[in-house]
Amino acid sequence: MSALLFYILGFIMLAATLLCITRRNPVHAVIYLVASFFALAIMFYLLGAPLVAAFEVIVYAGAIMVLFLFIIMMLGLAPQETPEGPGWKRWGPLVLLSSSLMICTLMLIFQDPAASKEIGAFYLAPQAVGEALFGRYALAVEVISFQLLFATIGAYMLGKPLSKGDQ
Amino acid sequence: MLDSYLPILTLIIIALGFSVAVIVLSRLVGENKPSAVKLAPYECGMPPVGSAHEQFSIKFYIIAMLFIVFDIEVVFMYPWAVMFKRLGLFGFMEMGVFILILLVGYAYVWKKGALEWE
Repeated sequence: MSALLFYILGFIMLAATLLCITRRNPVHAVIYLVASFFALAIMFYLLGAPLVAAFEVIVYAGAIMVLFLFIIMMLGLAPQETPEGPGWKRWGPLVLLSSSLMICTLMLIFQDPAASKEIGAFYLAPQAVGEALFGRYALAVEVISFQLLFATIGAYMLGKPLSKGDQ
Repeated sequence: MLDSYLPILTLIIIALGFSVAVIVLSRLVGENKPSAVKLAPYECGMPPVGSAHEQFSIKFYIIAMLFIVFDIEVVFMYPWAVMFKRLGLFGFMEMGVFILILLVGYAYVWKKGALEWE
């Protein structure tokens, strides 16, 4: 069961990524990348890491993809001409990939809880992550906090309006 | 456990069935005469103004970037929250320092007016 899901998810990921790098429209490419990230998230869950799966969705599919979209819009990379009318050719593959993703998720939800215990060689509970992060790696977490501070100020510096001295 | 999911499954099947049925029925019964006006993107009932693919202001980028930083901050809160009782005062202080450092950055960009939309 989980091996079958693994191969289906692997195929979805490969197909979505391949479609992503071959799209001429960068916005469409981002949408395919989101589908690929969702497949990756479910795969992390299959491997016994539910917390990583949740973060894959929250951080990568959510936040990082928003940033990609903003950069595409900011640089004006999207093609100006719009193809005529609705077409299966444009959104058909995406519908196919995301509906198979949804079927995989439903299969995971509805499978026997007794069988799901056998998923993966190990199971990394969120509690264990919390214990390691705030116990052994306490200092590293504070260092990450500083890095996020640099990122905040760096993002502001990159995007701030030009002052009079700069011009 | 499986029984508790049954209402959700029923809802999903009904929602899917209804939307697919409506699309297929309108395709079969309705007439299809596309014109330039009908195929135009819907924009709150007004005639579309220009193309949607325009260059956006960098202000959106700053807000998006700050959102990501604080999103990642929250990511560290989940594993802390599930172990809140076990980690005790040490964990609480650690999270306090973590948030305090990020609060400095937040106060800085707020003071500089990066969150203002003028």
